[in-house]
Amino acid sequence: MNVARTAGGTEGGAPGFAPGEHLLAAESLTKTFGGLAAVKNVSFMVRKEAIKAIIGPNGAGKTTLYDLLTGIYEPDEGSVIFEEKSLLGLPPHRICAMGVARTFQTVRIFSQMTVQENVMVGLHKSTSSGMVGCSLRLPRARREEAWIAEEATRYLDLVGLEMQADSPAGSLPYGQQRLLEMARALATRPKLLLLDEPASGLNAYETRELGELIYRIRDMGITVLLVEHDMGLVMRISEEVLVLDYGEVIAEGTPEEVRNDPRVIEAYLGSELE
Amino acid sequence: MEEKREDSLQEVAAAGKGERRGGFLGEALFLARRHVVFLSLVAFIAVMPFWAKPLSKPLGIPLVMVMRLVGIYTIVAVGLNILMGYAGQISLGHGAFFGIGAYTSAILTVKAHFPPWLGIIMAVLVAIAFGFLVAPVLRLKGHYLAMATLGVGIVLFVFLREMTWLTGGNDGIRNIPPLSLPGMRIGEARDYLRAEYYFIWVIALIVLLLCSNLVRSRLGRAMRALHQSEVAAEVMGVNVSWEKIKVFVLSTALAGLAGGIFAHVQGYIDPNLFTIVLSIQLVTMVVVGGMESIWGAVAGAGLITFIPKIVEALPKWLGEVPRWVEKYSNYEGMVFGLILVLTMIFMPAGITRGLSDMVRYRRSPFVNPFRKKAME
Repeated sequence: MNVARTAGGTEGGAPGFAPGEHLLAAESLTKTFGGLAAVKNVSFMVRKEAIKAIIGPNGAGKTTLYDLLTGIYEPDEGSVIFEEKSLLGLPPHRICAMGVARTFQTVRIFSQMTVQENVMVGLHKSTSSGMVGCSLRLPRARREEAWIAEEATRYLDLVGLEMQADSPAGSLPYGQQRLLEMARALATRPKLLLLDEPASGLNAYETRELGELIYRIRDMGITVLLVEHDMGLVMRISEEVLVLDYGEVIAEGTPEEVRNDPRVIEAYLGSELE
Repeated sequence: MEEKREDSLQEVAAAGKGERRGGFLGEALFLARRHVVFLSLVAFIAVMPFWAKPLSKPLGIPLVMVMRLVGIYTIVAVGLNILMGYAGQISLGHGAFFGIGAYTSAILTVKAHFPPWLGIIMAVLVAIAFGFLVAPVLRLKGHYLAMATLGVGIVLFVFLREMTWLTGGNDGIRNIPPLSLPGMRIGEARDYLRAEYYFIWVIALIVLLLCSNLVRSRLGRAMRALHQSEVAAEVMGVNVSWEKIKVFVLSTALAGLAGGIFAHVQGYIDPNLFTIVLSIQLVTMVVVGGMESIWGAVAGAGLITFIPKIVEALPKWLGEVPRWVEKYSNYEGMVFGLILVLTMIFMPAGITRGLSDMVRYRRSPFVNPFRKKAME
């Protein structure tokens, strides 16, 4: 296991971990479902304002790893340190409040709500009017509501969905639903954004646009973690790549290093990494 | 609109939503435009008693008297609609919370000589307390939640019936003082029906207005979000379990309020008024009126309350009911059920949605149930 992790590693699991340099540090995460280890002893770190990709064949445990990081599941073992605070045992909304946002592999937008309302939900935690304020439309609640609407428009502008603001989210084509999920996640003002296969279902042009968007997000000071099958995109935009197979880390390093790693090539049967 | 990005943030937001802000007048105008339905309802309620009197006799339905009940049920149905329609959490036990409100106010006014208005306030508080007590069932989902709330309703009903020292058991509580406010007789006024009617509807309309504000606020969005995907809402920073508890307690509070008023309007209550049948009636009001619609609560409460009265009055309208119909002693129930089934088949989203679709998109308010649906 350790051999495997250091195979391509320059940074990952390095003992000289200086706090402050890294935003997220996951240490020997393990999650078992009915005897089957979906994630086994996974350790990695994410540097601040980096774009890091997680790749691996289907069923390698990438999405489960996201679920562990965002508190949907609790790991059987291991720890997650985010900004020097432990995320273990916190409910997802608290983890979100600390600055971790994510999108989903199978889109989970609120399809009965409008596009703008979807993003407005992301701003929920940044506002605080209660039942009394909201039902009486007290000045503070009205100010907040105006602020929410304005902020939501900004995030829609960012992903290019401002024209569809008032359409039902469920009526958007698939690719735009993914963009909407990103806008909604960004509206929670994360420090770390976890993207789960954002390019699936996109054509080549849209994928390039997506790459630009991810750069822009990074330039906003947001660290991006990216689970993706589109190797072109991964190799182009990410600074570091973590490779999982059967729930274990088999390689970690720069795109170059990972691309030439024999274990990675074996896992992919040489099919996707040319 | 695009070039004016630098303008004050309120204006940008307002332009996006077609709203205008600023000042009392602006707010009033905005409310007037947004609340067309509400204002027409206010107008209708205000004048109803004046033309209802001459109409009641030929119709064979005491309109003002029934409308009082509609107002009371509207208050419960709004809360239940927010819980079920917006937040997606079913409750088959709200009849019991209605009963708790009724009993609280009845006991306090009869045994402790509270004034009715204070009794009603206490009814709300006690219903809130019971709401929090029961709230843990909200961890359950779907059918399981339905079963659990059904159980809660039954348990509370049994308590009402068996705690004879407090509730009088099956004999119920008699001589509950009529509605009154400090310095104002309502239930003993000369035209007490009309006075009660206005009292109830003022409260109901205020509740409707506040709730329609609520569902359009950040809290309303949070409810609808958790209805559609709890995981996504939670990950977006919505404290799902707490939001569910809040909306549940809100709905029990409104049930308590309505129950408290009900006790003073009826003057007599017993446990059998607050059984599962009432709970199901309340749910029916929400569903028939239209889920996820504040006005659906009014429509549903109106329809479900009026249908039995109309069915009862049918013989008077038709002169004589055929012998074979009369033989079915419970034909009112059959007609009632038939109307419900037809509504659900032809207006599955509820009557308010059907009607608003008709106005907005100029299409038939009815759905063809035999048309093949596109795959979701």
